[in-house]
Amino acid sequence: MKTITAYKCNNCGLVMYPYHDRCLNCKGRDFKEIAPTSKGKLLTYTVIEQLPWGMDERGRVLGVVEFDNGVKALGLIKEEAPRIGMKLKVGWEPVREMGGEKIYGLTFEKTK
Amino acid sequence: MRPVVVAGAGMIPFERRDDDSLMDMLAAAGLNAMDDAGLGNLPVNSVYVGNMASGLFNHQVSVASALVDRLSLLPAAADRVENGPASGGSAIKNGFLAVASGFNDIVLVVGGEKMRDVIGPKATDIVACMTHPEAEYIYGLTLPSMAGMFARLYMEKYGITREHLSMVAIKNQTNGLLNPYAHIQMKITMEGILTHPQSHVNSPVVADPIHLYDCCPVSDGAAAVLLTTEEIAKKLKKPLVTIDGVGQATDTHTLQERSDPTDLKAVTLASEQAFKMAGIKPKDIDVAELHDAFTILEIAESEHAGFFPKGEGAKALERGETQIGGKLPINPSGGLKARGHPVGATGVAQAVELVWQLRGEAGERQVKDAANGFSLNFGGFGNNVLAFVLRRKS
Repeated sequence: MKTITAYKCNNCGLVMYPYHDRCLNCKGRDFKEIAPTSKGKLLTYTVIEQLPWGMDERGRVLGVVEFDNGVKALGLIKEEAPRIGMKLKVGWEPVREMGGEKIYGLTFEKTK
Repeated sequence: MRPVVVAGAGMIPFERRDDDSLMDMLAAAGLNAMDDAGLGNLPVNSVYVGNMASGLFNHQVSVASALVDRLSLLPAAADRVENGPASGGSAIKNGFLAVASGFNDIVLVVGGEKMRDVIGPKATDIVACMTHPEAEYIYGLTLPSMAGMFARLYMEKYGITREHLSMVAIKNQTNGLLNPYAHIQMKITMEGILTHPQSHVNSPVVADPIHLYDCCPVSDGAAAVLLTTEEIAKKLKKPLVTIDGVGQATDTHTLQERSDPTDLKAVTLASEQAFKMAGIKPKDIDVAELHDAFTILEIAESEHAGFFPKGEGAKALERGETQIGGKLPINPSGGLKARGHPVGATGVAQAVELVWQLRGEAGERQVKDAANGFSLNFGGFGNNVLAFVLRRKS
């Protein structure tokens, strides 16, 4: 499955997403590209009723998830009753249409 | 560095201004500040314009060059300063440095934004362009939704309720009724925005737990200050108000990379710098203008800037300490909540309010005997923050 690329500093081990040219901790410039693990937990979320121009929907849930390997990322939460700490599994699906093109991103749903 | 005086302050009422172009607004605010200082035909050396997105909102760029032409300030140096919602604060910092360093003697700083040229959802999208393109923007993240994710954590950690958020809205809209420059001129009640079973009709969810009355309006407006040396300011005969402290700090672009997302580090660092430079402490401040783009931010900033310990800001609000007449009046102007938030104008409008307060010219909303003022201009979602200490010279 396609997913985001996160980065682990080869010097101090800090896990970062998105990309930085120098490590946020030690200023190192060598990183190993890593993928998020398949599961994580919800750190915070919001339910958006007023979306930007071009997104004709209501009640979109966005949240920050911490994956089991420490990567943290925002994504689309496909869960009507989210709660902080909830375990989620990751997907990769269209999250927005821009200029007629489908943009793919992280999606999350409850683990069975 | 030599002392820098705010010799002139002026603005135009923030509102929906369909009949004015961005340039009409910048020029009117600039003239108000020059006339307030009694500048006459003295030459302005340099002009800084704080503006976030004239290219996207108004299809016009190079607005500083256009403004010096409108104001017949040629051949003054002219720069536009873009730093998101802290563009106004950054423009003041640049003007301050130009005078303090001795590079310029007279500098005009104007902040302005005309946001209502586009429909609401388009404005939301333009403002969302400051989010991370790959890690945030594509998901439809908006600034209110960043405030929603922040508020959820902050409220849980410190026991803040939606009633506290509504208290900020009510206080600031009450103050706004005393400010003829404020966009929102409407008295609101706890019943109308929170406790009545139908209150959600008035204040629907924008990005849970942030409701409509937790958000600043989308406004058009401009504000300006004229900065100069003590020597020139004394000839201009206005009461002396000086910029004694300036601080600025940055934080990670995305919220999720902050080790504690409830910690607004850049607010703390910028405020500490400004207080250190001014040689005074938070307890010495008589009046503060904070960046309440969302009600939760006024509470969080009042703590991170050092006025109250963490978790105590909401309690101070409950006790009425932040009202006009309280121990530390916060946002007597109405803040962004009532005055409005034409993004590039805000940092400058905060300085204008402080100058009026410190001179004793704030009319019905005057904070008694205000001598030391503080302002905080919050860019992005706390990733670029400016703080200022302004003082009246006796």
